[in-house]
Amino acid sequence: MHIMEGFLPLEWCIVWWIIALPFLGWGFFRLRRVLDADREALPLLGVTGAFIFILSSLKLPSVTGSCSHPTGTGLSAICFGPAITSVVCLVVLLFQSLFLAHGGLSVLGANIVSMGVVGPVAGYLVYRALRDSRVNVYVTVFLVCAVADLCTYLATSLELALAYPAAVGGVATSLGVFLGIFAVTQVPLAIVEGIVLALVFKYIIQLKPEILFRLRIFPERAITEARGGA
Amino acid sequence: MRYRLEAIALASVVVFIGLFLYTTTAAPGAEFAGSDNVGSSQIAALTGREVESFTPLIPQWEPPSGEIESALFALQAACGGLVAGYVFGRWKGEANRSKLD
Repeated sequence: MHIMEGFLPLEWCIVWWIIALPFLGWGFFRLRRVLDADREALPLLGVTGAFIFILSSLKLPSVTGSCSHPTGTGLSAICFGPAITSVVCLVVLLFQSLFLAHGGLSVLGANIVSMGVVGPVAGYLVYRALRDSRVNVYVTVFLVCAVADLCTYLATSLELALAYPAAVGGVATSLGVFLGIFAVTQVPLAIVEGIVLALVFKYIIQLKPEILFRLRIFPERAITEARGGA
Repeated sequence: MRYRLEAIALASVVVFIGLFLYTTTAAPGAEFAGSDNVGSSQIAALTGREVESFTPLIPQWEPPSGEIESALFALQAACGGLVAGYVFGRWKGEANRSKLD
């Protein structure tokens, strides 16, 4: 999902930085609040962040003849919300732009908006909608992670389309072109990512259900039910 | 069933790999470039410019070779793996200890 350094005109770089910065500020503020309130949240933050590190480092060859990254942001969005997730994404994307020439400092804002803001916010909305419903916890985690992954790529396509409208048909045509590249590659990856992160969530539930109760991530009834099944 | 989710995860990975093997044999000419790069060449096509004409706005260090790039990606995954392994191990240890008490 990275937009490469130099591939976004300066004015768009600035626009996306302006959108990303308040989110990051809010994320740092929330991070302090959460960790001040409960130090036991730190290991959980470590785990959810670690999976963003692991999954976003995997360039997986997808079925359509192209390689792409999963994002892994859904789990963090569920446990800590999109603002804190954007801070974790800042760390990952900074590492990748400094040492891997994936993305870059000028396009970092745009990449944070797609991976750290739009994806997690979309996932978080799914989570809020399903949290108190009768839908199984694992199905919820699966859907959140898959939606966060797909929406990240939707956002990247939109960022590129806005900067490069086609001569004929404008932004809409460009959007179709970029979606064609990313979306097809990403659908199988998003499904596998959703399933794998649901499995990770199962281990969190089994090993440390208290932290999920304390942070009120899911209702106790849902967690207890999930511990029995699957 | 106790390991239902594990079974589903394993099955989905196997299907994914199977699809991958199928498409690579069915389309032997397919080039497994990163979708980032495909996106970049699409930008070049839309603007009618060469890919090389897009120069970094901020100078950037590039890994000297593909191998080093892979090593750094592996390092990134390893950092994540260390943290995840440490925390899960700690939680498992805590759970075992409280069972003993």
